[in-house]
Amino acid sequence: MLIVGEVHTGLLRNRGELSDAQCREALCLVSGEQVRTSLRPLPHAISPEVLAGVDCRLPSLSGARIRATGTVTHRAAITGGRILQGSSYAVIVRAERDYRMPWSHYLARPGQVEVQGRPRWRDMADGFMASELALDILDFGAISGRLMNRVQDSPRLDRKTPFKTTRTRLRWVMERGKAEEEEGLPPVRLTLWNGMLRTLRLTGEPDTRIVAFCEDLALHDWLLTTLQTLIERALIGTAAPTQIAAKLSPAIDHLLHLWMPGARMDDSFQPLWEELERHPGFSRQWKSSVERIRDQVAVNTLSLLSVMAESRREADGDPISSRVTPPDGT
Amino acid sequence: MKAVFTEDTAERRIESTPLSHVSVELGHLYMEDFAVGPERIREQFRLVAPWFETLRRTLHPKARVSTCFLIDDYFSRFSTPAEVVPMVIEAAAEAGLVIDYLARESACAHSGTVDVARLVLDRIVDDPAPGSNGSRPPLTKSGWLCNGRREADGAESEAMGTESGWRPPEQNAARRHSIFIDVELWDEPRGTRVWSCPYLAAVWQLMRLGLLRHHGRPVVTMSRVEEGFPGDWDALPPFVQLNPGAPPFAAYRTASVLSSRFLPVELAVRTILGQVAADPVVLSQVAGRARGEGLRLEDEVVDRVSYVFL
Repeated sequence: MLIVGEVHTGLLRNRGELSDAQCREALCLVSGEQVRTSLRPLPHAISPEVLAGVDCRLPSLSGARIRATGTVTHRAAITGGRILQGSSYAVIVRAERDYRMPWSHYLARPGQVEVQGRPRWRDMADGFMASELALDILDFGAISGRLMNRVQDSPRLDRKTPFKTTRTRLRWVMERGKAEEEEGLPPVRLTLWNGMLRTLRLTGEPDTRIVAFCEDLALHDWLLTTLQTLIERALIGTAAPTQIAAKLSPAIDHLLHLWMPGARMDDSFQPLWEELERHPGFSRQWKSSVERIRDQVAVNTLSLLSVMAESRREADGDPISSRVTPPDGT
Repeated sequence: MKAVFTEDTAERRIESTPLSHVSVELGHLYMEDFAVGPERIREQFRLVAPWFETLRRTLHPKARVSTCFLIDDYFSRFSTPAEVVPMVIEAAAEAGLVIDYLARESACAHSGTVDVARLVLDRIVDDPAPGSNGSRPPLTKSGWLCNGRREADGAESEAMGTESGWRPPEQNAARRHSIFIDVELWDEPRGTRVWSCPYLAAVWQLMRLGLLRHHGRPVVTMSRVEEGFPGDWDALPPFVQLNPGAPPFAAYRTASVLSSRFLPVELAVRTILGQVAADPVVLSQVAGRARGEGLRLEDEVVDRVSYVFL
């Protein structure tokens, strides 16, 4: 048994933050269904789960042809009224029979994809972790991406983004495995690929509650990636302080308050976050980036203040005063 | 010490509903049958009665069996409830049948403020043809639903490399040979959506199986009519409980005793039901109730639906 999924994360195409009620409207994918929202510790809204039918090949590193049929669960979420995620996943199990059953059979097992023949789980998991998948392989990414687009196209959004960002993709697999010492598998392996793809391989007792962990990780990885990009674009050390501050201001306005790893997760997955905090140390990098931004803004404020003081001195005809006067003159 | 914090809007609340063992539909009539007169209605119930008895005999003597009857007021309107409803009740009684619940077919499209037809439409998950890997949205033909891959002709199939210029339709779960079914769910003459008879009948089955919810609340709510039936169909509540002592309307399984002319309609109904993904929470509530009563219930919704064709 495997659980496989892909989470796409990006900025919502709306100038302002969405309120609780607006999130509900944007995420209403199924009529008569509730969008679940919570306000603590951070505004979060999650759409009802939707199913997509698939009947196609699954990947394998060895090149074995594997046919699978079933449904992929997908859902969209908005965090802080600002960040949108499209997440799809399926529990992959062995089929009881080696032929295609009537569709009602698969709908009675929502979120499961049945593999015909004898699956080699490790080989299949390896296949899912490749950076490029063959075109006819079950495409979780396309399902998540389409869901993102569907929400982005909602008439509730004004389709204007406050700053430019890129979508990140986290493809993940959870395979059944014993503790590290027995099989030599670490419980969590995260790989950053060139571009916006990340892969995550988890070993443990498969449980669909892991989806929330993967979504949380994808969210924080996006925040970090976006913050890094903003810092890079600000050309610190080259551009003028005012320009740097202007380039960094979206981070302060829209992102810095959203960092809360592990806030909405089952306690049993906290150790996974702790592992990732140890290595590579997500919060460590976030903290240092935030400090860098604040320092830049402080430098800019100081230089602004000294420019103002300078011009005031000139206006007052007092060329020797060394006191920095606040801009309002008090 | 551990703090407990919950938010009301973060929880999903789904009401559970009481269930009978079987919901039996005592026939179905088109408006033209009513137009023929009371004798046609009596004849219908005379035919149904022995089969209803047979159905009962297959069940435990204490099994809860509720009966229902659906009146078509959606496609055409005939006479008034004040005239038709008592005639139906009486004709059934003459054959020894009691109609516990009466429903208007239009309630399968709209019930009060709930757009029931839309509710079910959003829960349809298309039967994927081989090769569907999620990379494209399902190949739907707006307003139609099929059980396989539609035929391709001329250019389309040449582009796919077939020589003859034609590729036959194919059933996805075919047993050697295909039985391909393509059902029209609705059309929109003059811009207004009209749901098809099989589509509304599929909704009707889901209602009888107690599987529909609107924001967690049951879609079917029964009314009583105390002081005579109204002179206008719109004034008649969508669902009426005629027999105060009847077991619950919704049931684990349904059985419908119908004229054979409804066979194609019901084949279409089953094609639709086979592609409706009912709410997993509701399904597990129903399964839980069944387990509690020591009942073995089919996993697949469509397998809970049975018929007697006359």
